[in-house]
Amino acid sequence: MRMKKFINEPTNLVGELLEGMVLAFPDKVQLSGRNIVARAWPKESGKVRLVTLGGSGHEPGLSGFVGEGMLDYSVAGGIFAAPGAPRCLEGIRSACAEGASALLIVLNHAGDVLSGNIAMEMALREGLKIKMIITHEDIAGGPNLEDRRGLVGFFPVYKVAGAAAEQGASLDACLEIAERMERNMRSLAVAVNTATHPSTGQPIFELGDDEMEIGMGQHGEAGTGRMKLKSADETAEIMLNMLLSDLQVATGEEILVLINGAGATTLMELLIVFRRVAQVLTAKKIKLIRSAVGEFITTQEQAGFQMLIARMDPELIELWDAPADAPFFVKR
Amino acid sequence: MTDLIGRAELGEMFAQAAACIRREHQHLTALDSIGGDGDHGTTMLRAAEQMERGIEESSTASLTDLLKSVGWKVLGVDGGASSALFGTFFAGMGDVQLFSQDAMNCHDLGRAFQAGLRAMSRQTKAGPGDKTMMDALVPAVTAVTAAANAGKSISDALDDAALAAQLGAESTKDLVARHGRARSLGERTRGYPDAGSTSVALLFRGFSAGLRREL
Repeated sequence: MRMKKFINEPTNLVGELLEGMVLAFPDKVQLSGRNIVARAWPKESGKVRLVTLGGSGHEPGLSGFVGEGMLDYSVAGGIFAAPGAPRCLEGIRSACAEGASALLIVLNHAGDVLSGNIAMEMALREGLKIKMIITHEDIAGGPNLEDRRGLVGFFPVYKVAGAAAEQGASLDACLEIAERMERNMRSLAVAVNTATHPSTGQPIFELGDDEMEIGMGQHGEAGTGRMKLKSADETAEIMLNMLLSDLQVATGEEILVLINGAGATTLMELLIVFRRVAQVLTAKKIKLIRSAVGEFITTQEQAGFQMLIARMDPELIELWDAPADAPFFVKR
Repeated sequence: MTDLIGRAELGEMFAQAAACIRREHQHLTALDSIGGDGDHGTTMLRAAEQMERGIEESSTASLTDLLKSVGWKVLGVDGGASSALFGTFFAGMGDVQLFSQDAMNCHDLGRAFQAGLRAMSRQTKAGPGDKTMMDALVPAVTAVTAAANAGKSISDALDDAALAAQLGAESTKDLVARHGRARSLGERTRGYPDAGSTSVALLFRGFSAGLRREL
């Protein structure tokens, strides 16, 4: 099948998409160095900065969440590929300029963690005040935390740590909030159709016409099981039950649910899935305290979605509700 | 044993390694589409360009600074894990302690490769048998050290390393991926050599050719 995408030179994808983003949201973001997105209006001095890094082709993640109440810097990598350590270090240096402290948030993918670790090593050697947190909430990776990938879970972490930083919390306090959010969330993905790699034009995985795969990673890494395509209700129930059991959610607890579209799955489908999640939670007497449905991280035109649940406490809820103003997430 | 290599020889080794990778990048991409997302060849092509640039820009530097410069350039490729690991290997080689800043003997080269391997093992838990670049890199580095201990010349040591890397890469054909992105594909990866280990074999083939040409 021929790739049908509105692109120009395949080697210029990242530069062009980021240029588009800063031109579309000039009051929120600007470019700072090659493929590093920064806030248009830097945060006041004395407040902790949030930095992230990761591959491109997943828009609006990750750079679309640079803005007030969320990220300060996003170091964008190649298509589906981590940015190199030197540019990650450049992002950290900008964040830590004039003695500021910063928190680096990295999704658990081999290349991202490698670049993050190397950049951290250099940054600490330079005496910069930086700490790092790795998100790994995808339960498809199995019981070993290290094997669990970071999916859409970066979003609640950006949100609550970003709000804490905006309110003037210290680096240790921001890290504690981020870690608490991270520990209390779980996610799982399902895919029904592949995406094409925009640089090569090749499909990133193969899946039969009547199949779906639960547990598929952000780049089409194979998951826990392929099965015949199921209805929205059945799929929602299977995934929700796996997540509730892994997070050990008990009756009476309060959780946040986030449904993230992979790129080609319609909002109609996401809402139908969400409806079933809410019904099942009611039946189980688990309180749905906050929710989000939409596209936070995509993989081109891959069809499928990610489901995330998170156990919330009053402080996390307050930070989740705090204002945010990024190109692709606004909360007032 | 008096054979030594300096900046010119090291430069030619990297130049030939870059040439080997450039010739074979489409093959690397084909291999990577089985277990990964098919961009390994493109990443290695960009890494090769940066290897050449690193050599060019530090033509007057000490040998260790030259290695660090090549490593830092390769780290700068936005290519995910493979460029980060190759960059770490080269930059790590530059951590070796040398008596002279202008020349290396076979033992020094062996120690430099070992230093590169140590730097990598700080960043990845993958080891031989996991179907990664380590399956070619560990035997290649071991071969250089063994050749140095046996009193062989540097070019013989690099020939041994190239052969060891080649055999190591071929051995990954029968393995199931246990690390990296391909891990999740499990049994589906059996029957094909690992793309990263194939790149290591090309690298050492280039190193060996570069020295044969220069000496």
